[in-house]
Parts: sequence; C-alpha cells; structure tokens
Amino acid sequence: MTCLICGTPYQSTPTWSKLFLNQLDSSTCTRCFEKFEVSESAIDFTDFLGTPYEGAVDSVFCLYTYNEPMKEFLHQYKFLQDIALAKVFALSLQQVFHRKEGIVVPIPMHAEKLVLRTFAQVDELLNAAQILFQQVLTKTASDSQGKKTKKERLKTSNLFEAIQTIEETNYILFDDIYTTGATIHHAAKVLKDSGAKRVDAITLIKG
Amino acid sequence: MNEQLQQFLTGRIWLREHTPFPREVIDAHINSGYIHLKPGIITKTESVLFWQSMKSVCNRCHNTNQSFFHTFNCARCNKICTYCRHCIRMGRVSSCSELLLWAKQHARGANAHVFRWSGELTPLQQKASEELLASVEQNQSHLLNAVCGAGKTELLFPAIFASLQAGKRVCVAAPRTDVILELYPRFRKVFPNTKIHALYGGAPDQQGFAELVLATTHQLYRFEHAFDVVFVDEADAFPYYADETLQAAVTKAAKQHAAIHYVTATPTKSLKTTNQSILTRRYHGHDLPVPKFDSLWGYSRQLKTGKIPHKLQKWINEKIETKTPFLIFLPTIEMLENFPGEIPRVHAEHPDRKELVMQLREKQIPGLLTTTILERGVTIENVHVAVVGAEQPIFTSSALIQISGRVGRSAQYPDGDIIFFHHGISREMDKAQDAIEGWNRS
Repeated sequence: MTCLICGTPYQSTPTWSKLFLNQLDSSTCTRCFEKFEVSESAIDFTDFLGTPYEGAVDSVFCLYTYNEPMKEFLHQYKFLQDIALAKVFALSLQQVFHRKEGIVVPIPMHAEKLVLRTFAQVDELLNAAQILFQQVLTKTASDSQGKKTKKERLKTSNLFEAIQTIEETNYILFDDIYTTGATIHHAAKVLKDSGAKRVDAITLIKG
Repeated sequence: MNEQLQQFLTGRIWLREHTPFPREVIDAHINSGYIHLKPGIITKTESVLFWQSMKSVCNRCHNTNQSFFHTFNCARCNKICTYCRHCIRMGRVSSCSELLLWAKQHARGANAHVFRWSGELTPLQQKASEELLASVEQNQSHLLNAVCGAGKTELLFPAIFASLQAGKRVCVAAPRTDVILELYPRFRKVFPNTKIHALYGGAPDQQGFAELVLATTHQLYRFEHAFDVVFVDEADAFPYYADETLQAAVTKAAKQHAAIHYVTATPTKSLKTTNQSILTRRYHGHDLPVPKFDSLWGYSRQLKTGKIPHKLQKWINEKIETKTPFLIFLPTIEMLENFPGEIPRVHAEHPDRKELVMQLREKQIPGLLTTTILERGVTIENVHVAVVGAEQPIFTSSALIQISGRVGRSAQYPDGDIIFFHHGISREMDKAQDAIEGWNRS
C-alpha cells in the first residue's frame, strides 16, 4: 500500500482483529504516523468559570498535540482540501469513540464556507472512521474563529442553533481542533439549554 | 485588456481560484476571448468487454497514474468530483475547477538585455560553449555532458544572451530548489537589465513578464507552450529522471517546436538530443578524485546494535584529528537517524539543512551524515567523502558519480578521499569508478 502522507509504499501488518473484527486498516506508514504526538495534557475550564458557559461541557478529550507534522497534516487536509487524508486517523478515532456512549454531533460548518471548502472536514473525519453521527446543530455566523482573540470569541453571541429536538441523553461533540475552547462551549451550551443530560467533547488536536 | 493580467498569464496554465485578480476582471477577459478555459480533470470511462474503468488525466500536471486520483462528493459542484493528489501542493485541481490559459496577444519583454560578465572560459569550456550556442541558434536540441565541477553555468551564458536578444523567452529548469536559489543571484548579476523570475515551492510573488525564468521542474506544471528555449540543468537528478510527469512538464512548458537542451554529468540513455558536447576536465584542470572501494562487511547489523564498524570509526577519527570536513552518505533515513554518536545529520525533511551545511563550511562542526539529498549542488572546500553501503540500490552509478564530484572542487584542494564502504561490490559502483577513470584519461 502507499502511504497517504509521504507517498512511499509500505507493508501493513496482518492482524487477527483486522481479519475477524473488521478493524480499519492504517493508511500511512509507521514512520509518518509515529510523528504525531499523543496529547497528555489535561484541559481545564477555569477560563469559563463565572461566564454563562460554566458547566456546559462535562469533559474534553483531545487525541494529539498540535506539533509540526500535525500542522502540516491539517494544512494539507483543510486548506489544500486533500479529503483523502480523512482516513489517516480513522482507526484512532474509532477506538476513542468506542469507549464513549452518546449521540455524536460534529461541529457544523457554515453553508457558504462548505461550498468554498468543497467538503465538511469534521464530518469527513467521522465518515472515514465509520462513526455514525447526527447533524443537530447549524452555524449562524459565517466568520471564522481563527483570527479572533479569546475574549472576542467568548463575547460573540452563540455561534450555533439546534435544528432538531434534543433528547435528554448523552451527547458527544466532535471538532478537529480545541484551541481556546470557545467553539465547543458555545455548542455545548446550546445542547444543554435544549435539554441534553451530559455533553462530552472529543477533538482530534489540542491546539 | 488588462496588461498586468496579460503579463501574468502569458504562457501559464493557472488555477482560477489562485489568480491574484478580481473575479470580474477574469470574467471580462473570458468573454472577450483573451482567456481560454480548461477543466481541471478529464475523466473518461473505458470499457473492455464487461470491465468498466474510469481513467482520469490532470490537465495541469498531466498525471495519469490513477492511484493519485481521489474521488468524493463535492459540495461546490454537488457532483462526484475527482481531484489530483499528484500536484496538490500547488493548489487542488479537481473536476469542477477551471484552469486559465492566455489565448491571444501574448505579452512581450522590453528586450533591453545587457550581458555583463568578465570571467574567462578555459579553451575546453569555450569550445563546448560555442557548440551549444550553434545548436541554440539552429534550434537543435543539445546535450552538454560535463563532469562535476566543470563550470557548467558559465557555458550557458552566451547561448542564453543570444536567445534573449533574438526576443525569445528562455527557461532554465533544474529539479532541485537549492540549484535555483544558487543560480538566481548569478544570473541577476550577469543579465542586469533582464526581467528574471525565480520559481520554486515557497517563492515570493514576482510581478511582470519575465523574459528569463529560472524554475524547478515542478513549477513547469504551471506553464504551457511558454518558452522558445529551455535548458534543463542537472537533468540526471532525482526526481526528474524517475518521474515521467516532470519530463512531460518540461516538454509541455516549451513551445511546440522549441528545442530542449540538457546539462548533466551523467546522461541517462533516454536523453536523446541532436547534438552534444563533452567536457571531461574540471575548470581547474586537475584529475577527478577516483573512488576507492573498502569492504565493511555486515555494517548494517553492526550499526543496528549501536556500534560503528571499526574501519569507519578509524576514518572518522582521522578526519576529526586532521580537522578535515567530511560527509558520510547513508542509504536510508532510518540508518541515518539511528547512527550512533553525536555527528549532526541531515535528510530531505530536515528543517536546518542549509544551516548545517553552512556550519560545515565554516568548520563549526567536524562533519555531516546525510542521505543522497546532498549528492549535488553543495560545494564545501576540502571536503572528504565516505559512502556507507555503496552497494545498495539507491546508490546508482549517477548518484555515486555526483557524490564523488563533491570532492576536490576548489583549485586549492583538488584532491581528497572518496571511499565507497561496501558489503560486496555492485555493478553500479564499478560503472561509476570506470566513468571517472575514463574522464581522467581523455
């Protein structure tokens, strides 16, 4: 097979779980994949204490740090629009989501931006990992969070709206990157206010 | 007609989203026929008996290797869209993207060229240079086969100047960015009144219409029928000889009847030209250092257990004691990364490649471990070189000749060690040695 990142051929090792448990196969060589660094830092919500978003999120789990190889990955995936790369983290995402129970909700993209990007990068990560999800949220503002400071991000009125009825159950929010936490908190608050019992969040990267 | 747009697009094939002009300006020029549109990817269905398959072609890089194409549900065109991963680093080309070409009234340069060069050619260089000039004037392809350190760039100057004066657009292409970066300041000095662009991955934006373009062969994906004369420098370098789309890119960038000229130390058989010149002497006239073979049995096992083989260690110690800068070439990145000891190392993905080579030149570090990435283009005074695992397939005869060509480049130190440490002598090692000895004899 050919590594999706460096393009060199590699051998994927046959395992019993691939044969019998229908486990997803890797799509990169070990050398490329080992460059991604597993995130171990805990995330604290102290910044949100005393704001309306206090307690909106019950827990956040991030898989990888935002190191140089990850920056390159995200650049090629998001900005060069290389949707084939969605598969790179399929196996690790699948394993993480298997451990949690709840309705998976990806952070949505504004419709105008979706046309520009040609695909929803957060949804596609889940699709590649064969994780079922529901699009219960919609984005109201089209402006990007990337260029704002943390204060500005928190001040903006809520970025999301629910477009389906929210059940009294567990929800798992999913996003590509957790930077200041504003996006996740906005989305979680919408879910909680509409009746969600518990809201956890998983992101691929800790920014 | 917008002149800036004309200067920008003449000879180019450019992704619409990446054009630095407003949408309305582009639309107006499409409507008036100045811009011709091409779809990004052409996909055809081929059927053989009961078997149906989709065959795509990228209109920018002309890639036809189907494993580089990826198909998905596109939110822009709301269809199933295919894109090319082969040239994705230049911006994604997909079925629904549009490529722009300038269709009529091509831009022209000011043609106020000045040739400012006071160097002197040796009689051998002079002869080759005149032969090349004659071929360029007759529009016949020419192969300049010159040993490493022969002073190839200077030979090109007269032919380039003559072409520029005749109002031709000239391209000097090389497979590696390092080479373009080295050529650019030299050409600017020699042709001070000529508009020159240097194009490589990450190059800054450059305005206007360039009469002389220095570009990596990758950048030529973005040109179509642009140049009257093309020179390919280091035509034997990776990835050019191994990547058919790069070779096609050079042909595509040249105008239909334009001759393509090659400059190389180790021509491959596939390079076919009408004329050729051979330059077997270095500019300083000394013999090329001949590689010596030395056995290093079981080196890979020893290196794996964290030991440097005795002979190699002795060689390294000797170089450190005599304060001689050295380069050690290794066959794989893994061997490079796991090499015991503290010697600094560089490979293709290494961010400080340039700084480390600089430090070696200034003798701040004793030596460097490297992969074949440093096989060409680097000149370090009095450097001595060892190749570990010279029998491995990555070290082709042309790679070994290039590596040997790092030694003895300056007139002050025309000699130096070039040792192939091996686990058995390969045919390629013999070929390299024979070629170098042959040049010395002639």
